[in-house]
Amino acid sequence: MSWKIWSLKKSVWVFHVNTGACNNCDIEVVDLLTPKFDVERFGIKLVGSPRHADALLVTGGVTAQAAPRLREIYRQTPKPCIVFCIGACACDKGIFTTGYHMVGPVDKIIKEIDPNAIIAYVPGCPPKPEAMISGVVKALSAL
Amino acid sequence: MNQQQLNSKLEEIKDKLIDIEQKAENRIFLLCEAENACAVNKFLFEDVPLRFVIATGIDSDDCFEVLYHYAYDPTGCVVTVKTFIRDRQNPSIESIAPFLPAAEWIEREMHDLLGIDFKNHPDMRRLILSDDWPEGVYPMRKDAPKPKERPDGQPSRRPTVQSQSPAQRTVRLSKPIVAVGPFHPLQEEMEFFQLTVDGEIVTDIDMRISYNHRGIEKISESLQFDQVPLLVSRICGICSASHPLAYVNAVEEIAGVTPPDRAQYVRTIIAELERIHSHMLWVGLAGHFIGYDTVFMWAWRYREPVLDLLEEITGNRNNYGNVKVGGCREDIPDELIPRILKDLDLIEKKTEMLTKAVLDDPIIHARLKGVGTLTKEDAIKYAVAGPTARGSGVAIDVRADEPYAAYADLDWKVISQPEGDVFAKAVVRLLETLESVKIIRQALKKLPKGPIDMEVKEIPPGEGCGRAEAPRGETFHYVRSDGGNRPTRHKARAPSYVNVPSFRASCIGQHIADVTITLAAVDPCYSCTERLAVVDGHSNIVHDYEALLKLSREKTARLKKEIGAPELKMEDL
Amino acid sequence: MTITLQNLFWIIIFPGFLFTVAVGLVASWVVRKVSALVQWRVGPPLLQPLYDVVKLLGKETLVPQDAQQVVFKAAPLVALAGTLLLSTMLWRTAISQSAFVGDIIVAIYLMILPSLALIFGSSASASPHAAVGTAREMKLVMSYELPLVLAFIVVIIKTAALVEPDRQLDLAAIAQHAPALSISGMLAFLVALLCIQAKLGFVPFDIAEAETELGSGVLMEYSGALLAIWKLTQAMLLVALPMFLVMVFLGGFATSGWPLAWSIGKYVLILVLVILIKNTNPRVRIDQAMKFFWVYCGIALGIAVVLAIIGNYTGITWL
Repeated sequence: MSWKIWSLKKSVWVFHVNTGACNNCDIEVVDLLTPKFDVERFGIKLVGSPRHADALLVTGGVTAQAAPRLREIYRQTPKPCIVFCIGACACDKGIFTTGYHMVGPVDKIIKEIDPNAIIAYVPGCPPKPEAMISGVVKALSAL
Repeated sequence: MNQQQLNSKLEEIKDKLIDIEQKAENRIFLLCEAENACAVNKFLFEDVPLRFVIATGIDSDDCFEVLYHYAYDPTGCVVTVKTFIRDRQNPSIESIAPFLPAAEWIEREMHDLLGIDFKNHPDMRRLILSDDWPEGVYPMRKDAPKPKERPDGQPSRRPTVQSQSPAQRTVRLSKPIVAVGPFHPLQEEMEFFQLTVDGEIVTDIDMRISYNHRGIEKISESLQFDQVPLLVSRICGICSASHPLAYVNAVEEIAGVTPPDRAQYVRTIIAELERIHSHMLWVGLAGHFIGYDTVFMWAWRYREPVLDLLEEITGNRNNYGNVKVGGCREDIPDELIPRILKDLDLIEKKTEMLTKAVLDDPIIHARLKGVGTLTKEDAIKYAVAGPTARGSGVAIDVRADEPYAAYADLDWKVISQPEGDVFAKAVVRLLETLESVKIIRQALKKLPKGPIDMEVKEIPPGEGCGRAEAPRGETFHYVRSDGGNRPTRHKARAPSYVNVPSFRASCIGQHIADVTITLAAVDPCYSCTERLAVVDGHSNIVHDYEALLKLSREKTARLKKEIGAPELKMEDL
Repeated sequence: MTITLQNLFWIIIFPGFLFTVAVGLVASWVVRKVSALVQWRVGPPLLQPLYDVVKLLGKETLVPQDAQQVVFKAAPLVALAGTLLLSTMLWRTAISQSAFVGDIIVAIYLMILPSLALIFGSSASASPHAAVGTAREMKLVMSYELPLVLAFIVVIIKTAALVEPDRQLDLAAIAQHAPALSISGMLAFLVALLCIQAKLGFVPFDIAEAETELGSGVLMEYSGALLAIWKLTQAMLLVALPMFLVMVFLGGFATSGWPLAWSIGKYVLILVLVILIKNTNPRVRIDQAMKFFWVYCGIALGIAVVLAIIGNYTGITWL
């Protein structure tokens, strides 16, 4: 396994992106990053700029207005990076599948720019913080 | 005025109407043609006066209908003006926004989604559809093409607030449009809120709200009546008990059924638990904005027992799915009641300590009093609801005005404060949390035995208006049925829809260090406040959300130094 | 030939690059771990700072299209070079007592390089956000560099009478004495400690918001290998700057026997003080920081200088 991927597993800096979510997932993500769950143990840290990020925590099934923003953020994130689809909407538009304003889900938008993107799915509505940690850890160990 | 007097007052405008339908004691429909709608609306808003709630646009087969919903709070009556626009080729109607600012957004939305032209509207830019949505495609029309079939059109009527990614960025100043750059847009592309400042004072604000638009009302028409609560509880994560509640109130009104008493009490308890954890969330965020991170950590920590309780009862911390047409899905098991009471004791104690600390702290007084004031007149003009209204002296509360669920049987009071500043709204929310604890205790004690649901075989044709008091204010749902098993039209209005535009009144003239806390006082959904940016009309320097946050916290630190009082410590709470 | 090899050894291996980086990464782990424990958390594992740097080296380096390319890329390297030389010089002086006249001046100069490089790098990135951060960083640097230099001057004055006349600016000679044990010296030491706090970018003088933890404006446009170099520089500063304080104020760094343990203790003491200040104070505003350094520290140092001169003149050492 290349040393890049090895070190990526040990130190994951995350950036949160909301592409039209109902805020349940966002609140659980913020909950995840509070000291209660202490994700610094796993080398996870929240950063304020996609330039510093290794993983994007994306919530929301992508609305038409948010899609260009998501694409731009993905491009600005240095590779290698992992895209985590948090919640049912990000995984496959959830209950909003037939909405006329939805152009997602997240993996479709990301693959338009980068067919080889590394994408992980954490379903739930919303997924509990424990589920998110478990998803992140599983994704990292599968790399 | 009581209901009788209201009815006779409405007779005064009879000459402009086709008919007055009284579907129930507190549900009145005034039917009129499109030409008279403006006069009727003016009469209702200015002469009666009534409070504007929302407008619904409907594509009926032979015409367009625009329903303007008003509320008369002393009696809990909903008066709806049902307007018929007969010309289907070029539907147009006189705008009411010039005298009713609260209607600005909804008219823009109806134009986006149905293609109705509102004459003399002050600002007909695109509101709710994305910038690249093709012109001439109106999704809420019955004959709208399905997403795959949509033609690729050239977008137009772009808001002046925009950026062409990735190299250039256009911002709106008080005078001409000037490009600021070059830099890499990242999350600053297409701000949600964009404020224009002169030096350090805000002079204008513009908002772009297409990001969260998921087309829920259209999806609702494709779901069965019983599936819709699951959809609408996901409109917003923190109001997810009140939207389904308002919806089933509307449907139960159409069907003419009343759920069993136990169901009403369970609904009340879940709704009040949600109010507690939503207000806690707000307290935490407000504390974070002004630099009291201890308050932030404290508030989010004491939310957790409430979320755990909700998970025990309904199976999910955030999306309850507990309400259905005719009752509830899950019951509160008797074994759980002692634990709920114990958790409530803890929350009550901590909230009382925090309330007292807030009311006594001179720094918080200096930081929040007189800041972000929304006057009573503006509160009425923008038709705000919830703590935003109650903190400005407008004491409206759906639980008291038109009691639903079990609120009529319980003893509690409506909290309101006259000052209208951020401090008043904070006090309202804190005291309401304590009231909620009282309500839940009473409801648990009086919880009647019996079934928690009843079978509702079918929904007859008709229309219903359902309301619920969400933590942020009045949630209003209008449902129309034609006797089938799906709604033919479902209008969902969240309280933030009327509260957020009032930001224009409360924020202009404020210092930029107060911007984040003023917006927070309106309590929009969490992700909305992240997309905030400020443009300085003279020097083109842009502050983003983080810079504004820092300014806000620094102002508190400065005040702290000037006043010299000790800070709220975690151990004290 | 052998001298060149020896110099290379000193610069690259010990006590230069490898040594400083190793100690620096451990020191930054200590800072993070203690901060975590204070917040009742567990905190990161020991090698976490190393993992962070290695990971950054493996990432794409994105450079803004409109940035000043040369300055943008060179700035982190300049910062690294300055810190490396400072650290090597200090530790060499401690170990072998060899030096050259006026080396304290060189040390002060090298110390300023990382701050200057940060300002140049961020302003070269052509981002309005970085611009806001750069303006603040510039104000901060202008505020604390002068008191820091003044503090060292107090020490020079104090030790002037105690060392041979032509070695007054000699770091090795100054390091023999412990000026912190006098009033003026203690004043100067405290001022210098707070200046170090600002230089390291720690609370209460950090310019970053809690959520982002990086200099959110200043380093915003950096990524990949360039960001790794900044992180390394920050870690190395944690080795060089306390060492500087130890040598100038606390009586130097012995290299064998019990005095060695005592010296390591002195270094750890400074680290502990830095962490303590970091964890017990809220963030201050930029003009408050400026006022603090210019007014309060300025006055304190003025008093210290006067006391030091009086002490020298009258021979009272504890002034």
